[in-house]
Amino acid sequence: MRFPARPAQAPPKLPEWDPAWSRIVEAKTPDGPHSFHVLDTLEVLRAEGLEPSGTILALHGNPTWSYLWRHLAQATVDAARSGGRVWRLIAPDQLDMGFSERLAHESLPTPHGAEVRRMSQRIDDFDAVVTSLLAEVTGSSAPNDAAASAEHPIVTIGHDWGGVLSLGWAARNTDLVSASISLNTAVHQPEDAPIPAPLRATLAGPMLPTATVVTDGFLRVTMSLGDLDPEIKDAFRSPYANASQRHGIGGFVADIPVNENHPSYSELQRVGADIAAYEHPALLVRGPKDPVFLERYLRDLRQRLPQADVHRFELGSHLVSEDYDVAGVVTDWLNTLFPVDDAGAIAASGTSAAENTTAAAPARGVTAILDARHDDESIASVDFAQNPAQQITWRHLWHVTTSIAGGLLELGVRPGDRVSMLVPPGNNLTAALYACLKIGAVAVVADAGLGPKGMTRATTSADPQWIIGELPGLGLARAFNWPGRRISVSPLGPVQAKLFKVETSLTALSRTTHHAQLPTPAATDDAVILFTSGSTGPAKGVRYTHGDISALAAVLTRVFDVHEGTGLVAGFPPFALLGPAIGATSVTPDMSVTKPKTLTASAISDAIIAGHSTMVFASPAAYKNVAATASDLDEEQKAACARVELVLSAGAPVPLDLMDSIAEVFPNASIHSPYGMTEGLLLTDIDRAGVTAAAATSNLGVCVGRPIDGVELALAPIDDSGASADVLEQGTAAQGRLGEFVVSAAHIKSGYDNLWATTAASARDDLDGRTWHRTNDIGHIDAEGRVWLEGRLQHVVTTPRGPVGPGGLEALIDSDEQVSRSSIVGIGPTGTQSLVAVLDAEGTYLSPGLAPLDLTSRLRELVAEVLGHDLTAVLVAPTFPTDIRHNSKIDRSRLATWADHVLSGGSVRTKV
Amino acid sequence: MKITVTGASGLLGSSVARALVAGGHEVTTLQRRPSSVAGVHDVIGSVTDPSSVAEALTGTEAVVHLAAKVSMMGDPSEFEAVNIGGTRTLVDAAVAAGVQRLIHISSPSVAHTGDSIIGEGAGPASPELAHGEYARTKAAGELIALDADSEDFKVLVLRPHLMWGPGDTQLTERVIDRARAGRMPVLGSGAPLVDALFVDNAVEAIVAAVDAVASTHGESLVVTNGQPRPIGELMSRIAIAGGAGVPKLRVPVGPALAAGSVVEKLWDLGEHDDEPPLTRFLAEQLSTAHWFDQRRTQEVLWWKPRVSIEEGLALLAAHYAK
Repeated sequence: MRFPARPAQAPPKLPEWDPAWSRIVEAKTPDGPHSFHVLDTLEVLRAEGLEPSGTILALHGNPTWSYLWRHLAQATVDAARSGGRVWRLIAPDQLDMGFSERLAHESLPTPHGAEVRRMSQRIDDFDAVVTSLLAEVTGSSAPNDAAASAEHPIVTIGHDWGGVLSLGWAARNTDLVSASISLNTAVHQPEDAPIPAPLRATLAGPMLPTATVVTDGFLRVTMSLGDLDPEIKDAFRSPYANASQRHGIGGFVADIPVNENHPSYSELQRVGADIAAYEHPALLVRGPKDPVFLERYLRDLRQRLPQADVHRFELGSHLVSEDYDVAGVVTDWLNTLFPVDDAGAIAASGTSAAENTTAAAPARGVTAILDARHDDESIASVDFAQNPAQQITWRHLWHVTTSIAGGLLELGVRPGDRVSMLVPPGNNLTAALYACLKIGAVAVVADAGLGPKGMTRATTSADPQWIIGELPGLGLARAFNWPGRRISVSPLGPVQAKLFKVETSLTALSRTTHHAQLPTPAATDDAVILFTSGSTGPAKGVRYTHGDISALAAVLTRVFDVHEGTGLVAGFPPFALLGPAIGATSVTPDMSVTKPKTLTASAISDAIIAGHSTMVFASPAAYKNVAATASDLDEEQKAACARVELVLSAGAPVPLDLMDSIAEVFPNASIHSPYGMTEGLLLTDIDRAGVTAAAATSNLGVCVGRPIDGVELALAPIDDSGASADVLEQGTAAQGRLGEFVVSAAHIKSGYDNLWATTAASARDDLDGRTWHRTNDIGHIDAEGRVWLEGRLQHVVTTPRGPVGPGGLEALIDSDEQVSRSSIVGIGPTGTQSLVAVLDAEGTYLSPGLAPLDLTSRLRELVAEVLGHDLTAVLVAPTFPTDIRHNSKIDRSRLATWADHVLSGGSVRTKV
Repeated sequence: MKITVTGASGLLGSSVARALVAGGHEVTTLQRRPSSVAGVHDVIGSVTDPSSVAEALTGTEAVVHLAAKVSMMGDPSEFEAVNIGGTRTLVDAAVAAGVQRLIHISSPSVAHTGDSIIGEGAGPASPELAHGEYARTKAAGELIALDADSEDFKVLVLRPHLMWGPGDTQLTERVIDRARAGRMPVLGSGAPLVDALFVDNAVEAIVAAVDAVASTHGESLVVTNGQPRPIGELMSRIAIAGGAGVPKLRVPVGPALAAGSVVEKLWDLGEHDDEPPLTRFLAEQLSTAHWFDQRRTQEVLWWKPRVSIEEGLALLAAHYAK
């Protein structure tokens, strides 16, 4: 089969493509001049009088072409128009690819054949094109020095094999390039790992030309990896209409160096080494649902580029920039790195999140008290999850954690290594956690409520080097092929150990001779990464440093008087882990962690007695059951409950009637219900008197009290479009209006793991020079400074009369005796939405469809009276979709979709 | 101001004329029957007749053009004569007479192609896409009016949507009569959201437009109460306010559309005094959502609906209790 030569062409008219971006460039490559089709925004920018002050060099992979960068082209041109840095985008189509020149070929491509354009040639091609184009703009071809790069930075971006090529080119042009970005790519094929299955099939000798050139199989499969509109797919396929145009697709695949005999093997080794020496800022964007570019390639790349920021779009595919707004992440990242009008851009970059909360250095390390009490024979921890209950002294705890820490080091655990903890709260978890904290290993804790799928996603994204687990957890790790070397809690028999790939056990490690010197983690080092089930999307890993944890322990001491020697019953997982850091005796009651309703009054009293406890921490669901089972208590248990001084309820607000029930069980305790979230566990606080006082007002929402000592709270007012303002308000200016709560404190998170853009967005405020966290929780602050929650930012309804928080209205509607529970949703375009109440048919006499006229009238009057808003309709839904675990978290977006369907004429029998 | 109101024999036209008189304006009316509005100068005639139009426009500064053939059915040439020809005659005469303002009353159906309208603004009038003779000819008429807009002749188009209230025979009385007779259908779930406009609000919006057109002109605005409601709920409440029971005749959506189409054809052939019970246009109206973004309307007119739907229903109930 012969392939005729053909010069580069301009693409036809295509969706989302500006023909003015297209140009044909003749470049002198080492084997002579070739013509390239190049996406170049220079002409468009200059036509509007915009002279580039930065250049992005982009390189596509196989079998895409520069069409892949159209969103980035549009985003950079738009940003330039609105006064941002003027980034020029140069994105060539590679030879034999896209609309660039087709070389003449005598035969189909094969891995060792002469008809393949090799990796080294492709890097030279890229060099030839961009060198000639960079020379068109003064300032963009000068060698790199701090001043020049700030004036006109040059940044590379690549995808797929274009990622390797562009990183390789950048690593060899460090004097020219200031930063690099890569989307799903792979640099190195580890010798011990099999080639990804889809590629293996394609590469299998005789199949290669058939799959890639003769048919459009490879092209079609790649385009099916994302959820692309048909016309976009067609546009991607437009340069590859027939076999004579597809030689490059096969050539590209044939050039993958699958073993060391391959012609491009040594070049790939060199490129890999060059990239490892690359020290400029880097951003790695990844869509994990990629069958070819697997997690191990990202791991490899992060080892070569330890300075890299990472952003994962957990549900993104190989064509991640088609699935998500990658162009937005890229421009945000570039803005952070190269701010306009800042000559010291490079020097000022890279210090974003790290320096936040540690300004006021905490007094002591997380393990300081534990170390100080190494001779103390008093009780440190009681674990009722074990049968019989197990209690250990401070001396024992210190000894065990120090031994395990040494054992982990001997096993090969390094400071900064991540250790996934698949151990339920109790003494074993405490021992494993504090052993890790002692040597600076980072504990990864994924909430079991995420379910196997969610836990797998979380663990995969955190990419731990180690897993410490009990059997159910190790079984999950095996079944879902989690990364990390395995350590069991108790010793396993040889068969099980082999089955679960377990190397050793905590028990064995706890027999290690103490090391004289353990590494000392700094306050800014990561301590734990917490994944909890959120209300939207895949769980995010929340990063806490040692300093953050110390600060959190200090808050418990300062605000709630939890101090050394205090006995506390820890029925709420996050707090169960803080006892040793505070020096408090913590007791894990007999309950299932994932089912707080299993905590009985008896279990809690026994835990109080065992630890001589004066404080109890649990969730409202647990207290509800404690109150319901209080009649089972005997006299001794009742007396123990009467000794409790502080009852803390965390995880959700506590309604007044539950407060009253709790008070009956713990007659002498003050009852507090702090508000917080995974990113900031203790933010505001309200006690029983506070809840009583709040209930007497006519405020909408749930009152969570006032900010605790050490927490700054501000409000970002919500505008008519439902967006929260960029400017924060405090004091009286923040009162009486709907807004998003934004908090600052030493004990809030340091960031989200591998979510650069999410971290940057959540911490974008800089009021008073502090680091803030956007909570996504909305509500208002009353004239007395009390905080009222009214829902989540994404659930705000934007009516023509202004934005409405759903939470307050729902509470109001639920108070009607015909209603069991409700959800407020907005129907229609932003800013002019109709306010609709959806009621749950379950547990009521209501039938699906329009609610009865009298009920509708009643609710409409209520809403008009309290809020001055028009309730458009009241619908009854056959079922209420809820979060699997949190029965209380209603899936509002699904209800909104259903309501929208019904209110536009769809059947009420449509599945919610 | 000297203002001419065409079509002042209907509920809306006569109410507007009355309100303008009450506002201290000097009002001339043009319609085929006496307007019975106190304090106006009645010109009896048709908008299709240039001489009576010229007479009605003598010395006038502003025109409120309500005259139209409003019906679900009828002879296409009749619609064209009044809604297109009449508007053309009026606009030409007004420009010739040096009139400075025109408030042209149109209908949301001029931009309604049968799909759901969910919180949209007023789309462009489209004679090609509009359904039925009424909508088609009103669309053409609206384009004639807008085409004449200039700094010297300022035109603003209002499209009141689903007007109802005491005295309204087009919608309100039919709903009540049919509900009484057990012939008022509820299509499907009755849940599609529709906007409606209480008659008093319609009057006030038009009066507000006579002032507003001085600063904003050359565009079309849908006018509603800004309170979308499920169609089934609204019809039920109107029926109840009129003393009839809740409509119980439930019709699935599919058959209703087909039946409407058949009925429409039958009625087109014969001569009848009454409207057909259910046309396809009406079936579409009752089974798809059509509610509008009112922000631009309220901003331009410097007006907000004074009577809420709930208050309007109470007024309607009082009217029928008499």
